[in-house]
Amino acid sequence: MRAGRDVMKPAVETNEDVDRRVRVGLYDGLIRTGSMSSAAELAAELHADVPVVMESFARLGASRAIVLEPDDPSRVRMANPFSAIPTPFAVTAAGRDWWGNCIWDSLGIAACLGTDATIRCSCGDCDQAMRVDIRDGRVEGSGLIHFGVPARHWWDDIIYT
Amino acid sequence: MLLFRDEGHARKWREAHRIDQGGTMTLQTGWRLAQLWYTDKREPRWRRRTLDEAEAVFAGLGLVGEFWRLRP
Repeated sequence: MRAGRDVMKPAVETNEDVDRRVRVGLYDGLIRTGSMSSAAELAAELHADVPVVMESFARLGASRAIVLEPDDPSRVRMANPFSAIPTPFAVTAAGRDWWGNCIWDSLGIAACLGTDATIRCSCGDCDQAMRVDIRDGRVEGSGLIHFGVPARHWWDDIIYT
Repeated sequence: MLLFRDEGHARKWREAHRIDQGGTMTLQTGWRLAQLWYTDKREPRWRRRTLDEAEAVFAGLGLVGEFWRLRP
């Protein structure tokens, strides 16, 4: 498997090595192209066998490093803070449009990219449009962030959470 | 995790969804939490936090109490 950014390829790869390379490759590809790679696309990018990437996806999903599509383990739904599919949280940052999984993750996209960002969403109650900006490391906007699920239950159903 | 115009709107949403308890934070706290949680997420060195480490992040932001506890 080809070594990615800042990831030296050891002589013998452990599952941990493979998972690190797959995870970093997934994020690098997402940031480079704006879309989440499938197992086949990532395998081609990393010069790896598709089953190797699929097995890594399964381990990364089990360890909650990523969230796989419920009915397709070859695709990633969430590489938090990024969502592979449209959500009510649209984020513009680093010259691209992204989808956050929730307001926390939308702020997280700005943190992960280390850039300014604009988040467009709406009030969870009345649907009024809301906007939050990150400028020079500071958050600008108004509103209250609300978590409806207690922390220890977030991963009971992470897509709902 | 949603954004509401204010506590009144969050309360209406809780009532509509029959949720007794919720956790709230300001945008400033949410931004700080996002920075602590996600700045290194795409780095090779990233690893998932232990429960103790995650609770320490919450506590450092004043997010304490039953709602923010990670253990049953």
